[in-house]
Amino acid sequence: MSTTSNVTLFDDEFLKKLEYLNIISKRLFAGQLKAERRTRKRGTGLEFADYRAYVSGDDFRHLDWKAYLRLNRLILKLFEEEEDLPIYFFVDVSQSMNYGQPSKLDYAKRVAAALCYIGLANLDRINIIAYADKVRGELPPQRGKGRIFKVFRFLSDVDAGGETNALDSLKTYCTSTRRRGLAVVISDFFDQHGFEPALDILRHFRHDIFVVHIASHEEMDPHLRGELLLVDSESQQSREITITPSLLSAYHAEYNRFCEQLESYCWKYQLGYVRTATDFPFEELVLKVFRQGRFVK
Amino acid sequence: MRFLALTGGQTALLGLLTAATIIALYFLKLRHRRVFVSSSLLWHRVLDDRQSHSLMEKLRRIISIIIAVTIALLIAISLARPEIEALTGKNERIVIVMDTSPTMGTHTSDGKTRWDHAVAQANSLLTSGGPTTEFRISDSSGRIASSFTTDRNEIRDLLSKMKPVAADPQMPKVDATDSLVYFVSDGVTIPQVPKEVKRISVFEKANNVGITAFELRTRPSIPPVYDAYLEVQNFGGEPVQADITVSGVGGQRISRSLNLAAEESFQETFDLTPFEGGPIRATAESKNDSLPADDIAFAYLPIKRRSRTLLVTKGNTYLQTLLKLDSFVDLTVVDPASFKEGDFDAYVFDRFAPPTVPARPSLIIGAPDAPWLRPGQGVIQKPPITTWSESHPIMQFVSVHDMTIERAVRIDARDLTVVAASNQTPLIVASDRPRWVMLAFDLDSTDFPFHVGFPVFVDNVLAWFSRDQLAIHRVPGTIEVPLQNAQIRSIDNKTIEAQPQLGKTVFEAIEPGLYTATQGDARIRIAVNLSNREFSDVNRSAFRNDAIPVSGQRLLKRELWFYMLFVAIVLIAGEWFTYHKRITL
Repeated sequence: MSTTSNVTLFDDEFLKKLEYLNIISKRLFAGQLKAERRTRKRGTGLEFADYRAYVSGDDFRHLDWKAYLRLNRLILKLFEEEEDLPIYFFVDVSQSMNYGQPSKLDYAKRVAAALCYIGLANLDRINIIAYADKVRGELPPQRGKGRIFKVFRFLSDVDAGGETNALDSLKTYCTSTRRRGLAVVISDFFDQHGFEPALDILRHFRHDIFVVHIASHEEMDPHLRGELLLVDSESQQSREITITPSLLSAYHAEYNRFCEQLESYCWKYQLGYVRTATDFPFEELVLKVFRQGRFVK
Repeated sequence: MRFLALTGGQTALLGLLTAATIIALYFLKLRHRRVFVSSSLLWHRVLDDRQSHSLMEKLRRIISIIIAVTIALLIAISLARPEIEALTGKNERIVIVMDTSPTMGTHTSDGKTRWDHAVAQANSLLTSGGPTTEFRISDSSGRIASSFTTDRNEIRDLLSKMKPVAADPQMPKVDATDSLVYFVSDGVTIPQVPKEVKRISVFEKANNVGITAFELRTRPSIPPVYDAYLEVQNFGGEPVQADITVSGVGGQRISRSLNLAAEESFQETFDLTPFEGGPIRATAESKNDSLPADDIAFAYLPIKRRSRTLLVTKGNTYLQTLLKLDSFVDLTVVDPASFKEGDFDAYVFDRFAPPTVPARPSLIIGAPDAPWLRPGQGVIQKPPITTWSESHPIMQFVSVHDMTIERAVRIDARDLTVVAASNQTPLIVASDRPRWVMLAFDLDSTDFPFHVGFPVFVDNVLAWFSRDQLAIHRVPGTIEVPLQNAQIRSIDNKTIEAQPQLGKTVFEAIEPGLYTATQGDARIRIAVNLSNREFSDVNRSAFRNDAIPVSGQRLLKRELWFYMLFVAIVLIAGEWFTYHKRITL
């Protein structure tokens, strides 16, 4: 198990890629992004929050005429009360994520950061929840590209630890938040309680769900042999095992079955799903997510 | 099953320790390596699903342990050299004694010899017994003997080096308490053997006419004249016609054709005066003769050669006349004052000795003073001759028992050969190197010159100095020659390999022949002849078979440990394969 140092996780190269992804996302989804996800509640919001471009359907009373005179563009003022659907990034930081070369957690952090950046660039409100056996950390809602460094800092500071209990973690968070949005779950989904209860909770709270299933090659194709004492990195439980070719075949079959189960669940409930290995470039993964068309609407 | 290298208890203990060690090592090997995985969720699902195969897993472990212990036990127990009689035959110790006396060279009716049959019997013995049977072989001549070995090829190799030779055949001492002793023989020269020794007879009656004696004898005359004594006997059961021949180098030949009845012998003395000096050969030929070794005999007739002799004397009429009358002496007489070494074969010094050792053999009469001679230690009056050597060449046909001596010089005979002596002093001494003979008395103080033997004595001395000698007689086998570091040549001038020993030279002569040993000026001829009634009487045997060796019944050609190790290697190879296939642990 290893982690990339926090210093290099979000380096200049990473930022360049983020910007690239942002441009791509704008090209791909120009004019389609905001209206579908965000709902508008007519009313008065006094607290100015941010600006965005006016699109058809927006309340023209909130147009900033001064900006129009200045820029000759219709700019809409946004106030706090405006109800736009937030994006919740549930990042699994259990001990099992701290595995692989590079580690799944580092990869998850990069994917989360990239998606956060796109969201922030699109003036979405993003929340990041790090969970394992419980909610281990939470980044309060952020909006605007300038917040990206807060995202980086939060993700850099969060460490792996604890066993996976997504059900309790998500239940705790969802019952306290109660605002529906887009829930992006980034995890390896190795949960003793199963992945279904946790995702069911999100469905219960009417979130749009997108699943990013991360795996490492060591899990997909373990190169183990001989007499081993297998130790679970989360529970520290151990079990004696004799690796034989037939056992390895059985494991491969079980692993594929596990992935298929998760994918079938997502298909069944029309959840977004993408599976990746840690050696797959994260920017490619993000584009893959875009092409699915569920993340950015 | 029994064990040849360890006791049963030791083997059992070894087996127990080996098995315990292997089982302990096996479980140590099974200590598992710790490997961390992100989650054992899927592994548990797989392993739990395989609970139904746990019996197979346990069996796999048990089988792995059994194979490992089996391999270790096979290797460990093979160290104890196990033996199962039904598989490897009986373990025995067998001693084979081969009779290598000359009669074993007798031909049999099938064209082979008794020795060939004996070798076949020995080889038959070597194929009997199991792979752990130990063999030892020796011969009756004492030349070859081995220690116990299971290597049959080593025994066969020694057997191939054995030959029927003469020597003095004897039954070697063998311990039959824990071994089977077989004596393969025709029973002629060694008729009796200890009762625990099993006899294997190769005897078969045969015809044989052999030379039982052939020697040259000197007739007492001056110069010496030689006769050849020949004795031939028919040892067969039927009368035969035999052709006898005595031949020399100059083409001289004496032949006889004889009709010999069974066991009849023929003797004759032949005058060799017409013969030239050199090798003399006697042969006896007859039809269906079975032992060629005794059909030929050799002797050597000394070459007659005149000796250039210098007599140094102030005056000794008798000595001068004696030497002048010897037809094989070219005599020169000088006064002691005029003595000078020259081209002579021998010197005779009458009451004189030169200041330095003469270069030629010398007869010194009177024990004179000389730096190279030990000084006299006084004069003995009337010393009686009490001892003399009849075997010394200079004393052949010479009798001195009634010789009187008025006075003699007491001499120191250290490192000299005393040929005749009284109680007080040696009287006649001889030195081999340099070669000289000295009388401790002068001729005026003795009646020796008036004895019949005196001219013979003088002639013997001159002959000993430089004339050819008769050959010494030996039987085939290991020959010792009383000449150190001598070079040995055969009658056809081939060099024979010889080993120098202290004061003598030793070489092997398997067949009859005439050999010459040379060392510097010294030369000895050796006539090697079988000429022995004991060896020619080839039918003098009452030997019977005590046992005919039977090849032991055995399934395996090699010792059991060999097959055990082979199985262990096969198991190791198989286990290596199954281990890498994760079939065994």
